[in-house]
Amino acid sequence: MILHILNRSPSSSLVYREALAGMGPEDRLLLVEDGVQGALPSQVRHFEGIGGRLFALREDLVAHGLEGHCDASVQVVDVDGFVALTEEADKTVSWF
Amino acid sequence: MASTEIDRFLWVETHRVALDPEGYLVDLGDWTPAVARAMAAEEGLELTDEHWEIITVLRDFYARYEASPAMRPLVKAVGQSLGSEKGRSLHLLRLFPESPARVAARLAGLPKPANCL
Amino acid sequence: MQTATVPAGDVLVILRHPPHGSSWLREGLDAALVAAAFGQAVSLLFQGDGVLALLQGQGPGPLGQKGTSATLDMLAMYDIESLFLDASSLTRLGISIDSLQLPASPLEPPSIAALIGGHRLVLTF
Repeated sequence: MILHILNRSPSSSLVYREALAGMGPEDRLLLVEDGVQGALPSQVRHFEGIGGRLFALREDLVAHGLEGHCDASVQVVDVDGFVALTEEADKTVSWF
Repeated sequence: MASTEIDRFLWVETHRVALDPEGYLVDLGDWTPAVARAMAAEEGLELTDEHWEIITVLRDFYARYEASPAMRPLVKAVGQSLGSEKGRSLHLLRLFPESPARVAARLAGLPKPANCL
Repeated sequence: MQTATVPAGDVLVILRHPPHGSSWLREGLDAALVAAAFGQAVSLLFQGDGVLALLQGQGPGPLGQKGTSATLDMLAMYDIESLFLDASSLTRLGISIDSLQLPASPLEPPSIAALIGGHRLVLTF
């Protein structure tokens, strides 16, 4: 499993498409920084191909005031969860 | 990387040539075979035909790729131009001791190779 | 979509930026050259606007900024010959593979994932 990390919003950058194209069937995607906007119910459709493997970083959701606006399909993790995801992964790939 | 900082001047015949702190030419256009001989003399090297053919390979490499090669591509370029007998690290180390990619680039009037230790 | 056979290697450099406009492309190519100079097996993947880096006929910038065409030609001297591009990026830009300077193999998503999975280190630029 590879952990892909995306820090751009799907409404302002197309890099999410490249991240998705690069994901294998077991890979996970973690939204951080501006990427957490992708966790909004209006945006999460961009990631519908990877249901159950989409994560968002709580600290960035809180900073953006988005914690209460997160789609139910997104798994929210804190920094410790981020570390755990990284440890479970063979490697990480950053998309920005 | 080409440097624009002048550290000292090398006298070649009747004129002076600016060198950067690592001994590379500040202005690559200053290069002549006489400059190469003067630089080599400073390190106690006398340039033979075997040195000159490597210098020619390097100058051709730079003209084509706009960069000085690291050791591996230099060995490859020498092998392609001069044959596999010469396209070896040992041959280059014998001609340009210690760090052939750097020393030979300097004598060939090229910038310091960027992708080198 | 078929999964093409893709090589494994040490380092995969993903290039997502076109020439000029930023230094991302040059920095990515430099990283690839350094890794190759140290004997690593390096592959390149051109994705998004990065596929424009492969376009024939590109040159220096209007103010004389160095282009990337000579560096692309130099990759072979560093034994970097494992070149790929995201087929959908090329399609989206409406560019044909015949217009490219270097022979990069087009990949569909399952193969892109396999390429990423097959390299120990993946760097995006």
